[in-house]
Amino acid sequence: MAEVLKPDEQTAMIGIGEYRVGSFPMMTIGLGSCIGLTIYDESMKVGAMAHIMLPDSAGRKDRPGKYADTAIPLLIKELTAKGCKNRTLIAKMAGGACMFEYFGTNLNIGERNAERVRTILKEQNIPLKKEDIGGKVGRSVTFFPANGGRITIRRADGTTGEL
Amino acid sequence: MKLSTVQADAIQELGNIGAAHAATTLSQMLGSAVEMSVPAIKSIDISELGTYMGEEPAAMVAFELQGEIPHGGYVVFYISRESAIRLTNTMLGMTDMNRPMNEMDESALIEVGNIMVSAFLDATAELLGFVMLPSPPALTIDMAHAAMSSLVAQMGEEIDDVLLFSTELVCEEHKIDSDIIMMPENSTLARIVELMENMMKGI
Repeated sequence: MAEVLKPDEQTAMIGIGEYRVGSFPMMTIGLGSCIGLTIYDESMKVGAMAHIMLPDSAGRKDRPGKYADTAIPLLIKELTAKGCKNRTLIAKMAGGACMFEYFGTNLNIGERNAERVRTILKEQNIPLKKEDIGGKVGRSVTFFPANGGRITIRRADGTTGEL
Repeated sequence: MKLSTVQADAIQELGNIGAAHAATTLSQMLGSAVEMSVPAIKSIDISELGTYMGEEPAAMVAFELQGEIPHGGYVVFYISRESAIRLTNTMLGMTDMNRPMNEMDESALIEVGNIMVSAFLDATAELLGFVMLPSPPALTIDMAHAAMSSLVAQMGEEIDDVLLFSTELVCEEHKIDSDIIMMPENSTLARIVELMENMMKGI
């Protein structure tokens, strides 16, 4: 069993619409319909994480980390600027839940977010290796690029997982 | 939307009246005194929402604002998980704090949220002469940030700053701490501000 990785004071907290790139631990707390997306280069041990809120930017450019269609190309660009090769990048994602059943009937943003991320990753030729998506549960996700890109997930129902 | 001091004062007064009615209903349901705070107005950048509402488990009963403006935003009855158990224990005559929440708790929370938010909106509607009706309630017991950010994501008008109007309602006797949080769409807010300004001119 590998050692238990926990977020510490070095961990970068990534709020809604924000993103970070590097080899330090990164964390998104309380994902509901939002998506915590990571893109990782194993050979460089460098990764990027974004806290995506909505599927489409509709042309808005001021908060690229907020939308699936602007966040993904940006993370790839930032990673290649750090010397990562496009063909070694892999992606993982978590979140995309539907927190309120009644409101979810006509407008499931979590599902639309996840679908958009899958489509854009495909367009960009980045394989989506693992995901923990959907359901009715909130998730906190921590990403450890320096430790082989391990991702730990804590769900609101008390269960934990890894991606 | 940025609020002037006068506008913020007007909204605060409105929140005060709404919350006072909600507090009265809570007090009647619990059979003990309920204190309320001065309503707080916060404008929070979405990236900072996590510093106000994090992973702490809470029960949230959410209502969409309907009526004269069809998708007017949301009102949420927010109560920490611990307070929620104390609340339902008090209502259902139980004492065990270390128990999982069941369907009975969920129905009780939805009912309490429904009664309080209806009282809140009735009082504000009467004052403004502007009807805001609550949608059917939706309950989640989860991380605060996960639920609240999901509501922000489905607001009709896209926003980078969340305007939160919140009033804390506390029952000392049973150690129950709850909040009524209103997140209006910009169009609703503009309408409320306009009505409040007209009212003040009339005085």
